[in-house]
Amino acid sequence: MGRASREGALKAVEQVNGDATLDLVFRPVERDPGGDIDAYAPLCEDILKSSGARHVVGCTTSWSRKEVIPSLERLGGVLWYPTPYEGFECSDRVVYAHACPNQHLLPLLDHSFSTYGRRLYLTGSNYIWGWEMNRLAREVSAQVGGDVLGERYVPIGSTDIARLVDEIAALKPDFVLNQLIGPSQYAFLETMAALRARDPAFGEGRCPVLSCNMTEAELGVIGAAAEGVISAGPWFRGLTPALSGNEGREDFGSSFEAAAHASVMMLARLLSGTPDAETLSLPDLLALPGASAVGISARTHHVTLPVTIAQVRDGAFAPIKTYEPIAGDPYLTRPRGTLQPLLRVVP
Amino acid sequence: MRRRLRIPDLGGARAVILHRPHANVTALARQLEAVGLDVECHWPELPVSVRAADYLFLDVDTAYDEQFPWAPGEAPLPTVALIGSEAPGRIEWLMNFGVDAQLLKPVGDNGVYSALLIARSTFDARIGLAGEIDNLRRRLGQRQTVVQAVALLAARGKTENEAYEQLRGLAMAWRVSFEAAADRIVASVRGDREDEDHG
Repeated sequence: MGRASREGALKAVEQVNGDATLDLVFRPVERDPGGDIDAYAPLCEDILKSSGARHVVGCTTSWSRKEVIPSLERLGGVLWYPTPYEGFECSDRVVYAHACPNQHLLPLLDHSFSTYGRRLYLTGSNYIWGWEMNRLAREVSAQVGGDVLGERYVPIGSTDIARLVDEIAALKPDFVLNQLIGPSQYAFLETMAALRARDPAFGEGRCPVLSCNMTEAELGVIGAAAEGVISAGPWFRGLTPALSGNEGREDFGSSFEAAAHASVMMLARLLSGTPDAETLSLPDLLALPGASAVGISARTHHVTLPVTIAQVRDGAFAPIKTYEPIAGDPYLTRPRGTLQPLLRVVP
Repeated sequence: MRRRLRIPDLGGARAVILHRPHANVTALARQLEAVGLDVECHWPELPVSVRAADYLFLDVDTAYDEQFPWAPGEAPLPTVALIGSEAPGRIEWLMNFGVDAQLLKPVGDNGVYSALLIARSTFDARIGLAGEIDNLRRRLGQRQTVVQAVALLAARGKTENEAYEQLRGLAMAWRVSFEAAADRIVASVRGDREDEDHG
């Protein structure tokens, strides 16, 4: 997992171990695949075989998650997956603890079509996250009479994006949906910033770049080029409250950290108070009395999360819209109600 | 042209499973419910109401024609085969039965969502093709009428090509198919003759 997720998980382990009301302590067992896609499954198996651990918190990309699921099935493990993903999965061995499209992409598109216009450009890294998110964006766009001006992908890790930005410069869309990850996204935002500096059609407030996974965790690396990016997520720094599972704490650097912390806290609450709970399967844990209060759906294993749309201003995310928590709907088969603005109790 | 998948409305859709009570059924039902479908299991008899369901999952290992209230190849809903034994005889049965998608047993943690999408898409294509073939067969059967109509029009002093074009023009004016226009012309001439006979 990434650094932010690891930090959140370890904060929660410390919190659990210092909490006298929970009848358990956690001992973290760590393995680092270092982003090497072929190392995830062997290292996950190593954890499950060489230690008593049954619950693994980890993975960032969907690709790595799909790699470890067969190992979890074979060895009886559970994965707590604390980063946003593209939906359309419901493994019996996974808790999906960050947002799926009805909690990030769809609210972001609603906001964008009503605020910036209907002409959009789609881009992403060449793997499942970008492909599926952009397919969904096309579908939503068709429903609202939007016009997809272009769609272009970049190999993971590639920083060769001049052609992509040239195309955007020529097409002048109302907004760009960016599903690029890592160095490709950094290079893209740099080149877009240069375009904004030289072409008034891309000046301040025009043709914003959208993201469904950018958090404070990456703002430092991206620097000034991140200014103006609009992102959707369950939480951004400064918002109160944070996620279900974070109760009483908001000292997180990003929603990646908050969701990993919430994962470990939710696990502790499921395990606490039931003898031998560590031997129970995930469906059995979620069937325990009181489990429904933890915030994980026993039907989909997805969590209920608030939705915030925020824009990078002066190096931090400033919220534009904040909505009440909604349940994850990984297959988008539930009726889509109108999101309710988050009402805060004024002290 | 690339085909865009039409994603069916699966929330609240009705899935019927024909399989004896088994861990495979539990795993299948879990996945279906996670996707958002309502699930009912039947064994060994299928109720007649299965015709109104949205999807049927059937156990190929034990299935036989008499279990289904329709002739092989004529399932009125998308069907998904649950395959355990890969014995050729069972595969032959399933090819004759005509399923739209398949899942291998044991049913595990995934696979159901893609089977639902493939089954719906294949079923829709199958029904669409069957309708098109019916239509083409009917038009093929009307070839004789077209020949008669062209001959009748040509008999009024036109070349065969001119008569053909006139028939096409009439079909467009009447907003009917070429064959239906031919049918009208043949019928009207026949009517005139009958009038003459009576006259």
